[in-house]
Amino acid sequence: MTERIYLLPLWIRLWHWSNALLIITLSVTGFSLHFADPKLPLVEFSLAARLHQVAGIALVALYAFFVVANLVTGNWWQYIPKPPGIIERCWVQAKWYMFGIFRGEPHPYRVSEETNFNALQALSYWFIMYMVMPLMLLSGLLFLFPEFAPDRVFGFDGLLPVAVVHYLTGAVIVMFMIAHIYLGTTGTTATSMFKTMINGWHEHVGPEESRHGDRRHADRRGS
Amino acid sequence: MFSTWCQRIFGALLVAGLCGAPVHAGSDSPIDSETLAKNRKANEVCFACHSPAGIAKPPRADLDMSKLADSRVEPEIFNKADHGVMDCRQCHSSKHYGAEYPHGAAGKTETSPCNECHAAKQLRLEPQFNASVHAKVEGVKEKFTCNTCHNVHVNVLALRLKDPAKIVEQDNHGCLACHNSDATFARFAPASDKMPGQKKARPDIDTIHEWLPNTKAHWKAVRCVECHTPEVAAGKMLSHEILNKEKAEKKCLTCHSADSSLKTRLYRHMVKDEQQRLGFTNSVILSNSYVIGATRHPELDRIVIGFIVLTLAGVLGHGAVRFIAALRRRKNGEKQ
Ligand code: HEC
Ligand code: HEC
Ligand code: HEC
Ligand code: HEC
Ligand code: HEC
Ligand code: HEC
Ligand code: HEC
Ligand code: HEM
Repeated sequence: MTERIYLLPLWIRLWHWSNALLIITLSVTGFSLHFADPKLPLVEFSLAARLHQVAGIALVALYAFFVVANLVTGNWWQYIPKPPGIIERCWVQAKWYMFGIFRGEPHPYRVSEETNFNALQALSYWFIMYMVMPLMLLSGLLFLFPEFAPDRVFGFDGLLPVAVVHYLTGAVIVMFMIAHIYLGTTGTTATSMFKTMINGWHEHVGPEESRHGDRRHADRRGS
Repeated sequence: MFSTWCQRIFGALLVAGLCGAPVHAGSDSPIDSETLAKNRKANEVCFACHSPAGIAKPPRADLDMSKLADSRVEPEIFNKADHGVMDCRQCHSSKHYGAEYPHGAAGKTETSPCNECHAAKQLRLEPQFNASVHAKVEGVKEKFTCNTCHNVHVNVLALRLKDPAKIVEQDNHGCLACHNSDATFARFAPASDKMPGQKKARPDIDTIHEWLPNTKAHWKAVRCVECHTPEVAAGKMLSHEILNKEKAEKKCLTCHSADSSLKTRLYRHMVKDEQQRLGFTNSVILSNSYVIGATRHPELDRIVIGFIVLTLAGVLGHGAVRFIAALRRRKNGEKQ
């Protein structure tokens, strides 16, 4: 019998996929803007600019929704890595990604309604969503309303630092996205985590988890 | 004070004679401090009335103040302008203008035309000027002259103005003073073909250019002539041919790419100073505007692309090892 828990409420799943769609759009159009060149087959400049602006504003609205919904539902607590032993748990998790996963060892961490992220996830999601995203959105908004940007900085146009922050945070988010999509395949099966994000149900007991997972998890809890 | 002025205009042309005798711009003898002092002194006569101070406190009570208010010349601005070294009466005939008022009735029609002093330049520019949209439309061409765009009391040559923001402001003012003002436009506009007896309505400048995002930011950072004049060789002065709307530049990449045409246009006086400051391509443009696609940092771009490629490679490598390990595990499992 597979054990299922209803992990992700509808609003999180809707938010997640809208967020994904917008960020992919923004990455592709942002790349086209930054590397604009008649010789490269990118999204046409004015189309890219328009799409980027529309998607950018939508993402600001979506982020506002995300923050408010997290506060209201208490979901924000998920993003806080909780002591004790954060570093140790991160290390265990990292070791699993580096070695254990190749040996078919079970996930060192068991998902539950109370804590659905492992420590590494919680840390990286917290960093991306609450550190990088605000910078990215703020610099994007300044790009959109340059009259609020500083006039001049070190003899350069005041938009330069805004553009650099926007570009670098964009790059960090793209790198995160690549890793994030890949790690999505490290569930019980390559697609099970994607299914969870679609239907909200997490399947605890894959053939492997049933063999070792529960026991180890119980061990850790007991200690 | 006069000596600093002399230094400033060192290389300026000798302006001959007080009496409006034609001078030939193009002669390279600098104006001497004596002539300059004489001209400045002579102009004080006119500034007694034609300046903000004169308008606030006119020397006589019988002046037509509404007209005087329209004919203000700012001494500080005039003195710094291209023609600021000159005596007013080199262009405004001394036959009609002096301390006495009213001025001679024929004065209005006897302003020296540009080619009286700029014969060679005008000869070169005239074909371009005549090919312009403004020289072709019936009802417009009769009124359109050099000083429709050039404010001789104010303008400063781009080379001397240096600051691109100021160049943009000055040159766009030449176009927008008309294209953004219903009153001025109506004085020049041709007859409307839709409504007989009426002037053609002025199309709103931001509506016309709706396809351009953030038009207001563009008007402050580039000139109308960047898109509305044909291409010229690098280093050359812009053409005076204003192209019609079909031929105007619409491609964003003309400016928004590493090989930006801004280098041969707005920034043509600055490109020789290009030093790739802090490693940025087109850093002279960056001194004034961040232009997406044009002002980049190739080093930073390589690092960013490098990191993204590494991330991708890491993920693919990890996936491949995982896949192979899983296959081997399955095979071993089957054997057991
Ligand atoms: C006493 C005051 C006064 C002085 C001095 C004066 N002006 Fe005027 N000027 C006026 C007024 C008032 C007008 C506008 C009313 C009019 O056109 O009758 C005017 C108009 C003009 C015009 C517009 C065309 C025209 O003829 O109406 C020009 C050009 C001009 N002045 C040039 C000069 C020059 C050059 C000097 C110096 C040599 C000068 N003025 C000195 C009062 C003066
Ligand atoms: C290089 C030539 C030149 C010089 C020098 C010059 N002007 Fe003018 N001025 C013009 C031209 C051209 C016009 C426009 C005439 C027209 O529209 O018919 C004009 C117009 C004017 C007018 C009419 C109102 C206006 O602003 O259009 C006034 C007043 C005037 N000038 C005053 C002066 C005074 C005072 C000085 C000296 C401080 C001076 N000008 C120096 C060329 C010159
Ligand atoms: C009476 C002579 C005279 C008249 C008329 C005259 N200018 Fe000039 N102009 C000069 C002189 C002298 C200079 C040079 C000043 C210097 O080099 O600093 C000059 C400089 C200029 C410059 C600066 C660029 C260059 O070639 O040095 C421009 C642009 C210009 N004039 C445009 C005009 C226009 C447009 C008109 C007609 C509306 C006009 N001028 C009428 C004498 C005149
Ligand atoms: C439609 C507006 C317009 C008209 C009309 C016009 N000009 Fe110009 N002119 C400009 C602009 C804009 C520039 C600056 C171009 C640049 O920076 O290369 C300029 C620049 C110049 C320069 C200085 C070029 C340099 O950098 O050395 C001269 C001289 C000049 N014009 C003369 C004339 C003469 C003479 C006429 C009449 C035949 C005339 N202009 C008509 C807009 C105009
Ligand atoms: C004093 C008024 C005035 C000034 C200054 C002026 N224009 Fe015009 N412009 C007109 C008028 C009037 C028309 C004719 C409108 C029409 O035929 O529909 C026109 C037409 C045009 C057109 C449209 C041509 C078409 O295909 O329909 C363009 C483009 C243009 N101007 C650009 C410029 C630029 C760029 C400058 C400055 C360098 C400038 N104008 C300065 C009055 C002006
Ligand atoms: C980025 C390039 C660019 C700049 C900068 C630019 N234009 Fe244009 N302009 C165009 C193009 C392209 C068209 C034709 C638009 C169309 O057909 O939809 C045009 C059309 C026009 C027209 C024709 C309007 C009509 O439909 O009759 C006028 C007038 C005009 N521009 C004036 C200006 C003025 C004034 C400025 C400076 C404030 C300016 N333009 C700056 C590219 C530009
Ligand atoms: C004549 C050159 C030129 C052309 C053509 C041009 N641009 Fe620009 N653009 C600039 C410059 C210069 C700036 C920098 C503005 C500033 O400093 O605020 C700019 C800024 C921008 C910005 C950033 C504004 C902001 O939010 O800060 C966008 C977006 C943009 N352009 C889009 C376009 C698109 C889309 C096109 C083609 C339809 C285009 N541009 C055509 C010169 C140009
Ligand atoms: C993952 C998300 C995003 C990425 C990867 C991204 C990337 C980029 C890049 C690379 C550029 C080109 C800038 C340059 O050349 O220096 C750019 C421009 C810009 N970005 Fe973003 N961006 C993202 C999100 C946003 C958001 C949320 C907003 C709005 C609030 C925004 C607004 C803008 C604006 C206004 C510009 C200027 C170009 C234009 O107006 O279209 N971006 N972006």
